[in-house]
This record gives sequence, C-alpha cells and structure tokens, in this order.
Amino acid sequence: MDRVTAILKDPLLLAALAVLALLGLGELLSPGFARGDQIVRLLTVAAILGIVAAGQNLVILGGREGIDLSVGAVISLGAVIAGNVMSGDDAMILPALLAAGGVGFLVGIVNGLGVTVVRIPPLVMTLGMMGVVQGALVVLSRGVPSGNAAPALMAFVNQPLVAGIPGILFVWAAIAVLMAFVLRRTLFGWSVYAIGANERAAVLTGLPAGRIRTILYGLSGLFAGITGVCVIGYTGNSFISVGDQYVLPSVIAVVIGGTSLAGGSGSYTGTILGAIALVLLQSVLTTLQMEFWSRQVIFGATLLLLMLLYGRQARLRV
Amino acid sequence: MQALLDGRLWLITLGALLVLVGVNTALQPNFLDPSVLQSNLTTFLPLVLVAVGQTYVVLGGDIDLSVGAIVALVNVTTVSVIAALGGTNEAVLAGLAAGIGVGLACGLVNGLVVAVLRFQPIVTTFATGIVFSGLALRILPDAGLPVPEVFWRGYAGGAFGLPTVVIVLAAVVAVTAVVARRPFAIRLKAVGGQRAAAFQTGLAVGRLRVGAYLLSGLFAALASLCLTGETASGDPLMGQTLALSSISAVVLGGTALAGGVGGPLGSLLGALVLGMIGNVIFFAGLPFEYQTLVQGLIVLAALAGGVLVARR
Amino acid sequence: MPDAPDALTATGVTKRFGAVVALSDARLRVGRGEVHALLGANGCGKSTLCKIIAGTVARDSGDIRVDGEARPLASPRAAEAAGIAIFYQELSLVPQLTVAENIHLGHEPRGAGGFVDRTARDESTDHLIGRFAGVAGDTFSAKTRVADLSPDQRQITEILKVLARRPRLIIFDEATAALDRRQVDVFFSIVRDLRAEGVSSIFISHRLDEVFAVADRITVMRNGETVGDFAVAETDPEAIVREMVGDVRLGPRPGKRPAAGGEPRLVVDGVGGGRLKDVRFTARKGEILGLGGLQGQGQKRLLAGLFGAEPFTSGAVLLDGAPVAPRRPADAIRAGFGLVSGDRGRDAAFPGRSILENAAMASLVREKAHLILARRLSARFDRMLAGLKTRYAGLGAPIGSLSGGNQQKIFIARWLAARPLVLLLDDPTKGIDLGAKADFFAIIRALAETGTTVLIYSSEDADLLSLCQRVLVFNGGRITADLSGPALDAVGLTRAAYGEAA
Repeated sequence: MDRVTAILKDPLLLAALAVLALLGLGELLSPGFARGDQIVRLLTVAAILGIVAAGQNLVILGGREGIDLSVGAVISLGAVIAGNVMSGDDAMILPALLAAGGVGFLVGIVNGLGVTVVRIPPLVMTLGMMGVVQGALVVLSRGVPSGNAAPALMAFVNQPLVAGIPGILFVWAAIAVLMAFVLRRTLFGWSVYAIGANERAAVLTGLPAGRIRTILYGLSGLFAGITGVCVIGYTGNSFISVGDQYVLPSVIAVVIGGTSLAGGSGSYTGTILGAIALVLLQSVLTTLQMEFWSRQVIFGATLLLLMLLYGRQARLRV
Repeated sequence: MQALLDGRLWLITLGALLVLVGVNTALQPNFLDPSVLQSNLTTFLPLVLVAVGQTYVVLGGDIDLSVGAIVALVNVTTVSVIAALGGTNEAVLAGLAAGIGVGLACGLVNGLVVAVLRFQPIVTTFATGIVFSGLALRILPDAGLPVPEVFWRGYAGGAFGLPTVVIVLAAVVAVTAVVARRPFAIRLKAVGGQRAAAFQTGLAVGRLRVGAYLLSGLFAALASLCLTGETASGDPLMGQTLALSSISAVVLGGTALAGGVGGPLGSLLGALVLGMIGNVIFFAGLPFEYQTLVQGLIVLAALAGGVLVARR
Repeated sequence: MPDAPDALTATGVTKRFGAVVALSDARLRVGRGEVHALLGANGCGKSTLCKIIAGTVARDSGDIRVDGEARPLASPRAAEAAGIAIFYQELSLVPQLTVAENIHLGHEPRGAGGFVDRTARDESTDHLIGRFAGVAGDTFSAKTRVADLSPDQRQITEILKVLARRPRLIIFDEATAALDRRQVDVFFSIVRDLRAEGVSSIFISHRLDEVFAVADRITVMRNGETVGDFAVAETDPEAIVREMVGDVRLGPRPGKRPAAGGEPRLVVDGVGGGRLKDVRFTARKGEILGLGGLQGQGQKRLLAGLFGAEPFTSGAVLLDGAPVAPRRPADAIRAGFGLVSGDRGRDAAFPGRSILENAAMASLVREKAHLILARRLSARFDRMLAGLKTRYAGLGAPIGSLSGGNQQKIFIARWLAARPLVLLLDDPTKGIDLGAKADFFAIIRALAETGTTVLIYSSEDADLLSLCQRVLVFNGGRITADLSGPALDAVGLTRAAYGEAA
C-alpha cells in the first residue's frame, strides 16, 4: 500500500504510467494505434504543445503565481509573422524564426516587467497582454489569413527526416536536453527554483529575483514565438486565433507533469510526459469515436482526477 | 483623499466610467437617449452579472474560470426545457427555474471540488468548465431552438415604466447591498484575506468558499438568462470570453485577486467601464483594424492602473 | 472549589509531525478560575499542546476533558463551543479588515433581519478598546484597519478578540511579547478580573517575572512531555528554570578570550531609518558583538539595514575603511556581508529543494559560478557539513527532512562557504535545541577566530552572554549601553534593557 502511495505521489512515474496506459488502451481499442508511424504522428502534435509548455513551465517554476496566458496570442503572432516573412520561400525560414522568436521574447519581457516592476498579478498582466497582442494581430493581418509556410519548413515538421522521424522531434529533443541542463546544471536554473520556492530567501541570498523572473517571461514569449513557427509549419498557413487552443493545455501539461503551480518544484521531463499524455488522451477519446461532447466531459473529468492525485492544497488543520 | 478612498476604490472606477460616458457623449451625441442607453445596457449586462458573481469568489481568495461554460450550459438547459414543455408561459417559467438550478448546481460542484477536496482553483475550474461545456454540447449540439416571443419581448420591454434591463441592474445592486450587510461578506473577506487566521478564528472556511462559488454560479445563470433574452435562442458556445473578461472587470473594480479586499459594486462599474471602452473606441472613428489593439492597450493600462491604485 | 470539576484536564496527549515527535506525554490540569502558566524551553511542545486544545491541531492520542467532560475538540469551532478561546502567537487577525470586524469575526452582532449591526459592533469594540485607554495610542479605534496598526496595537486587538468571545478558558500564548510595561499592567489587571469571574487562563510567557506576578500554578514541559506541576506560592524561578532545562547544562560558559584587539572592521556612523536613531559603533576583526535589549528595539532593523534589505535613511557605514551603502542584499553580499536569520522558513529555506541547493546558493552567487559542477560542489559541501557535525541522509535530500537545528547549520554553511567579512546573526538560535545550540556557538567562535566579525542579535540573553565579549543594548532604536568586562552579566543586561543603564 505504501508503495502504491509512493507511486501515486511521484508525478513523473504517474505521468509515465498514464502515457503507457493510454497507449495500451488505444491499441486495445483500435489495433495499430501504437504503431511506430502513429506514435510519431502523435509525438509531432505533442512536440508543438511541448515547446510552448517549456516556457509555461519556466514561468510557473519561478513562483509568485506565475502563469502566462498570453502564449496563445503570441503563438498566433509568431505564426503570422513567420508566414509573412517566409511567404513560401525556403531561404527565409531562419529570418522568420528569428523574427517570430524575437518578437515573442520582447512581448514576454514586457509581461515580465509588468509582473516584477509594476507588480501586476501574472494572471492579469498576461491576460491584458493577450488582448494587446490579439489587437496587434488584427492590425498586422487586417483580419484575413496571410502568409504561408516555406515548403522546407512543412517538410521539416511533417515529413520524416532521419529514420522516419521528422525534424521537429529532434528540435524538441534538443530543447528537452537544453532545459534539463539549464535547470539542473546552471546557476540560472537553480535560481529559478530558488525564487519559486522562497523569493524572500532568494533575495536575501543575493539573487536578482526580479531580473530572473523577467527573463522567464521573456523565455516563455520566445518559446511561444517558436511554437508559432512550428504551427505554421504544421498547418501550412495561419489565422489570427490559431494559437488560442494551446493556452490552457500548456498549463495543464505542466501540471500533469508534476510541476507545482505554487512554483519551486517540478521538471521539464515531467512536462514532456504531461504533453504526451494530454495528446494521447485526446487521441484515445477520438479513437473511441465518441461524440465531441463526451470527449470533452471525459477530458475534463480526467483533469479533475489528476488534480485529486497531486494538485491539492494543504489542509488548514494538521 | 486617502481616507475617502479607503475601502472605496470603486469611486475611482466610477470616475473613469463618468469620463468615458462624457467622451462617448461627445463622440456619439445621441448616447444619452433612453433607447441608446437601454441597448448599451443590454449589451453590457451579462458581463456585469458574471463579474459580480466572480467578485465573491475572488474575495474569498479563489477564482472561477468556469463561468463562461456555466452561461452556455444554463442557456441550452433553459431553451431545451422551454421547448420540451411546449413553449407556454408555464414552460418559460420552468425553463428559467431550471436554468437557475443548473447555475447553482455548477457553482456547488466547483465549490465542493475546490473548497472541500482542496483542489487548486485555477486548473480545477478550468477543468469543470470543460465538463460543463461538454454537457452543454450534449444538450444542444448546434445553435438554434428559438425561445418563445414572451421571453425576449419581456426582456426587451419593461415594467413599472422602466426597461427590464434597468430593473435587473437595480436588483443586482440591491442584492449586493444586502449581501454586503450579512456576516457572510465580512467572513468571506477574512477567508480571502488571511485563510489561516479565518480558520483559527473558527470560521467555516469551506462552507464560505462554497457559498462564494454558489453565488458565482447563480449570477452566471442570471447572465445567461439575460443573454438568452437578447439572442432569443440557444447556443452551446455562448459566453466563452466571459470568464476572462469578468476577471478583468473585477480587477478594474478595485478587488484584489489575492482576495480579501474589494466588493461587487466595483466589479459592476468595472464591467461597465470595459463595455464603454469598446464603445468609445468604436465611435472615435479609428480605422477598424486598430480598434482591437487600442482596446487591448487601454484595458491593459487600466488593469495596471487598477493594481497600482489598489496597492497604493 | 473542591466540588467543581477542573476547567481542563489533558492526559497522555501525543502528536507527531512526520518523523518528529512534538508531544510524547503531555499532561495539563487547570482549575476553574485559575491562572495557569505553561512553561518550557523552545520546542518543548507547549504551543502544540495549546493548539490541540484550541482545535487547530489534531492530536494522535490522549484524553482531554473540559469541565470534566471528554471532548474531541475536532476543530476551532468545536473548541469554541466548549468555551475555549486562544490568543495566538502567530496572529490570527485579518489585516484587510477593521479592528471591529476582526474582534467580532464569526460573532457579528445581528440586528433586524439578521443584518450585521455595525453600530452595536463598533460601540462594543470601542468599549473593549477603552480598557486599554491611555496606553494603546490614539490612532486606535473600531474603524482602523488592522493593516495600519502598530505591533502592540495588533496584539491588544488580538487580546480583545479573545475577550469578546466571553470564553471560560483562555489560552494566552506569548500574549505580552509586543506590549510595553504599562500595557502589560493593564493586561494583567484584565486577567485578574477574569479570574475573579471564574474564567481560567493558560498563560505562556518567556518572561519568568511575569509568570510569577500573575500565575497561580505552573506546569513545566520538556521535550514533549510534562515534567511537573507546581503551585507558584511554593516554588521559585530558579527551581522552575532547573525543571525546564533538566539535566542538560546551561549553554557553555563564556570563553575567556581576551577582549577583541583586532583592527576596526565595521564602522557604523550615526545610521537611522525605521525606529533606528543615530546608531554608532565600531566592530573589530574577530569580534563577536552582541546586540541586546528587549525585543523590537531596533536590533533587527540594524541588521536588515547593514544587509541592504531595508536600507538606512541616514548615516554611513564603513567596511575596512571603505564606505558601503548596500541598496539590496546582493550589494551587501558582494561587499562581504552574510546574514543568518532565525526565521528560517521565511528568510532562508528553499522548501522542497535539496540540502545542496540550500547550502550552496550564496557561494555560487558570490563566486558567479554560472556552470554548476555538481560532483565538485557536493564534495566541497560534504566536507564542510561534516565539519559542522550536521546529520543528513544525503545532499540530495530535501531541506525539510532535517530538524530545525540541522537546518540552521545548513544556513550557516551557506555563508561560511561564501567567506563573509561580516556575519550578521538575527536571532539565529530560535527553535533550536540545546545540543545544536552548543555546536552552533562553537562554529561561530571558530569563525571569529579566523578574523570574521560577527554581529548577533538574540532574544535570549543567555546566547549573548555565552558568545559575546561586548554587547550593545538597544532601547527605542538607540544604543543605550555598551557592556563589556565585568558589567556584562545577566543582571547588567536586564537592567540596561529596561532602561536602567549603568
């Protein structure tokens, strides 16, 4: 029994079990679900969510109720910018990536300054920023879809590059390695955990908490901008609300992966598993050929179940 | 000045609203015509109601992201019940009652899950919101199912010489005034202000938080009925933006997201300010494509200002 | 009153927090209309016992009877229904609400229709405040927001909140800590009035003179169990202290080192800010300089100012002859300051993070070690912590797995590794057992031997007497005495603290 509790209390293990169970369930319901090419297809979808969730993960780890609700709008912005910069030209992929990532980073820095300097609650600041970026999108695109992906980018996201695996999965793997390295082996990473766990103590240890937190929001914007490029690579073109569907799933993936919404504990490894589990869950529900409404209900109920396992707040009476 | 504003941050919101009314009147000379006012109020009322309900949850230190989904679920329940019962006047009453019952039930679910099971409120109400909108799609998969004439005529019309929307607004103000003078209001602020202190004092912390979610569900249901009166039909995707807008309105009204400070009157004004910002921008003659951006910037600035003023 | 059952009897009460045993066998018997003092060293479990009686902490086992009747006391509300009210050391006030709202929270006077009768509430509050008339300041009324009150006014509000409940048994946990003498006198007269009305009180205080002034009986606890129950009339403070401390010797005797003759390291020249006024002194290399006096006389503010956490508004600070004016802790750390706070949970711990992260952070920052070489870092801190006699499972274990004393060693290590020129200690022994305290003193002495200047504020005079050759006594934000040599003893410190400086 104690061992069962221990498993239930280790979010990484739990998320990994959820991934395996969903995979098994999918295969049971629809043979071929867990076939190699199917898994690659699912991972491609998970990669897009996983990249934006990397930024969300950092912001949440940094504590003080950190959350970035503007990522959806920034993804759309990144996609529209990238689409217009590329206009189908392979040579412009790198400039498009730089432009989308750079603009995303700047938006994130403004979020960070609002949160740290003006001390606006992150929920409110990033919500307000979402409105501003959506407005900017209307100005940029004049309300009509514009720009399209370069063929090489679409191939990179959708077609196998090496050994049947598309390039975007290598990018995701690189991001995963980078995140793990930064969080575990650099002073910056340790500082993120420190300010998330106890900001006052971090400041009294000499850490520039405000600067670190501002950078975290900047990185969240950067990842969202990059995700925008991935999204346009995945779909070929963009529209101004293409990123909206990623906002709350990015938060959920982080939470499923065991990162505490209070900050200071968690890992990107968990978030990767969380993103995969989330995509698998949606896929299994689709496979079941359920109606949309019942998929929604089961999806919501599953989230509540996950909250029951490790999203609970402390008791007032001990 | 400070003494006057102490605990009355809504006065600033009121000031902002009056300025916006002035600007709007200058831009749109017929703004103060009763019919124009009534149509504006009709547009703003749903957000006002949702924001008032949200305020109680926020005062208690929680948040309710499911209000938009509750609005949709209440709407489809009401129109379906009315249609199933044949669209008679009795059916309309039954539909209204069913809608309010559903709103309260949703609030109860949120409250129990958050306060009794102690789930983290942001993710939890997001998840219950998904469930609620799933159920809404189950009840009414596609928009449609018009309501009987008596419903929307009654909402567009009036009674006692006053438009219905004005009566609803007055009723909301009266209800918030009543709640503000109950022990519940002070205890809820204590729960949001310093939860451990409230618990040590012997307050029924869980029950108070559930009460706040019930109020939020109730007001979301009322908002839904108003929206239904306006659109005169069912829509399972109704009200999707209301959750986030209501939080903006609450913050604009001077209620701290951390809980414990503020009140529903401010949120009511905050919701009107949000609506008026949209109005003013529309009539300012800005090129169409710049309107969203300008609105976003003004709302962000207002939110930042609200936070700064609340902190002093 | 031999016939009346005791107001409270608790027997065999136990409580564990995870691996830590807070109470192993707590007993307490309080007669009706009795003022009963509950005493014991820090961490003996007296606060836990009180919280169990007040229903905020669940006991693991044990029997508690109120007026002879067994009670589960399953929540604060249940305790309140049994007539028990508690004054909390950690305040139970809601800062956003007014004094009147706080005092009547949960018991709002109702008028017609169940509405809160604000007039009655404010009048009854002003009436209660009237008991402290003249000693509580003029900015103190029913409509003042608690956030705007001074610490003593908050404490009085807390006392009034307890009284407004009209309980039959009141627990006062350090109720006089923030009060001045006149306020304490008023408070005592209230406690005596209550006794006359048959209300019993449990009284926790670290001021023994207060205990002997007001209590009828004393229960002494040590290491989670009750060791004795005494009538005040039949005992004396020395006997009680012996019971509290047990067989363990009092802290080590002051080292007979020569008075510091090193060069001046830290010169503080007329600094002010907050309640500090024109504070000036010089601390030498290798000196352990004590900051004494009653709590809240500006000692903490001085340390916070030197560390850049709450910068000074006037005056100057010289470190090795060069002016330093840190505007944030990072500046002070760069200049060579370190700070160890006794409030570990608030000021030092990164909860949930590993011991290594908690220990290494300051030196990483100071050395700008952007890349972390984990193996080398672990080896370094394993060596250092072994030298500090710290017990831990591994550097990867979370900081919360350590006892308070061992945690404090980690936070000392944090700064030892950063090699500060001046180490500031802000009540560092709070909540640490006597064994760990002795280790801690040895570490500080060894550090001073290497030339580091140490400034220590402690709420326990014994700490200062054990460690320091010289103590600056603070009163009202000023240094009112500079004690060293023969003048530096318990009597001298106490007299200077109460403003009777020699």
